[in-house]
Amino acid sequence: MQQLADLGDTSGSKPGAIEVRDLSHVYDGVNGQVKALEDISMHVAPGKFTVIVGPSGCGKTSLLMMMAGLRAQTSGELLCHGAPIPQPDPKRVGVVFQEASLYPWLTAVQNVEFPLSLRNDPKTERRERALQMLALVGLEGFADRYPHELSGGMKQRVSIARGLVQDPPVLLMDEPFAALDEQTRMTMGHELLRIWSTTSKTVVFITHSLTEAVYLADEVLVMSARPGRIIDRIAIDLPRPRTYEMMATDKFGGLRERIWQQIRSAH
Amino acid sequence: MKPSRLPSPQRVRWAMLVATLLAWELVPRAGWLPELFLPSLSKTLLVLGSDWSIYGSALLITLGEVAISMLIACGGGIALGAIVGGLARLRVLLMPIFSSLYAVPIVILYPVFTAWFGVGPESKIAFAGIYAFFPVMLSTAAGIRTIDPQYLVAARSMGATLSQQVTRVIIPASLPTVFTGLRLGGALAIIGVVVAEMLTAAAGIGYLVTLNRTILDSPRVFAALLMILLLSIAYDIATRKLERRLLSWQPAGRSTIAMRGASSSPTTNVSAA
Repeated sequence: MQQLADLGDTSGSKPGAIEVRDLSHVYDGVNGQVKALEDISMHVAPGKFTVIVGPSGCGKTSLLMMMAGLRAQTSGELLCHGAPIPQPDPKRVGVVFQEASLYPWLTAVQNVEFPLSLRNDPKTERRERALQMLALVGLEGFADRYPHELSGGMKQRVSIARGLVQDPPVLLMDEPFAALDEQTRMTMGHELLRIWSTTSKTVVFITHSLTEAVYLADEVLVMSARPGRIIDRIAIDLPRPRTYEMMATDKFGGLRERIWQQIRSAH
Repeated sequence: MKPSRLPSPQRVRWAMLVATLLAWELVPRAGWLPELFLPSLSKTLLVLGSDWSIYGSALLITLGEVAISMLIACGGGIALGAIVGGLARLRVLLMPIFSSLYAVPIVILYPVFTAWFGVGPESKIAFAGIYAFFPVMLSTAAGIRTIDPQYLVAARSMGATLSQQVTRVIIPASLPTVFTGLRLGGALAIIGVVVAEMLTAAAGIGYLVTLNRTILDSPRVFAALLMILLLSIAYDIATRKLERRLLSWQPAGRSTIAMRGASSSPTTNVSAA
């Protein structure tokens, strides 16, 4: 781990920086080769909140899975603080998935400490760490609940806690709130910003919701339909902390509209 | 005063049990049914008491055979089910065959087994083992196949090795379905052994049923039936308890229509080793 961090320093990028250069991905489909991603280049500065939007099937989830080391790209480079990610490394990159991918046979706290238990961390230590994370996401007192005893929003809080438990500089989120109802979704977005501001993680967040994108992001990347390319980068210069009232402003609406235009033209 | 309301289901169940036992005692006594058809409960129990050594040793023989056939069925069923369920190619190749075989009344094999293995315990074990094998194997395959792939992607993202994915995700995730198969398989093993004993055998509880039926000794037939009944019920209660312990994390009502009390589920650490 130390080695990787040093590597990152020598290449001049700080922990948490993500660098994607000319990344393309081709896979074998039923009718021959399918170009999923084409010439993706992006840079996420440490501690920044980047949101990727795009039509369904544009490959945004694939891109995120590559950042997580869960899938290999065909060509191009993908660096996380200066080093490639050939395989999942939960100490560098935490992942939060769309559906609550919590294990139903484990309690909330056991789910959060699952990544630590894989490395055989001392039991008391990892329990303590997991409880801290649950407190961070606002779930004190729910440690011994099983997932089916938690609401959808609470489950995703546990997922976030699990993603953060090894304190990775990068947190990847694949439509984490897609299954939630609108109100819960707004609350969770707000909560995520609170957690983000206290942990200063680099976040790459995928969503279909344009409102969510503008509300959360420092920068929104718009992807085209397959083959997925980045067709626009929109800096969201709304002040932080973000408030619900901002959504009613012309500026918010303008940014949202611009993303919508891009996505429409991308089809 | 308490407002009048319907009695609880549990009370009704106990009342039904008591009524059944009372009827068992009173109907033959009143002469509504000849004793040949239905000997009274007290007479049956009396026979059971006086012939206890015969019934006890027969029960031990049956139990031993059931245990071995369960081991064969569960071991083979889980192993083969895991392989067939886990490997897509084998699944496509073999699942239709196993599903069809499951529909075959396997009792037709029993005469063959007695010819191969004789009328001793071997033929009974072979028959019951195969009889119980199919549900265990099929439900294990289904349990493995229906694991949410997201569980494994998540495990990989958290750095789980292949063996950790098996022990920490695949096994606990498939446990509920596998357990359903084990319960059913165990019940079928009991049926298999008893049926085999009733057909062709020289020992065991099922043999006592057939033996006493041929000499028209109804109380002894019913004594044997009572023992089989108690054996099956004991098995059901035991597995239900075990399931409740092992799978306490399951949402209530998902597994079985169990007589679950309102007591909160104990937070047993299922796999936080």
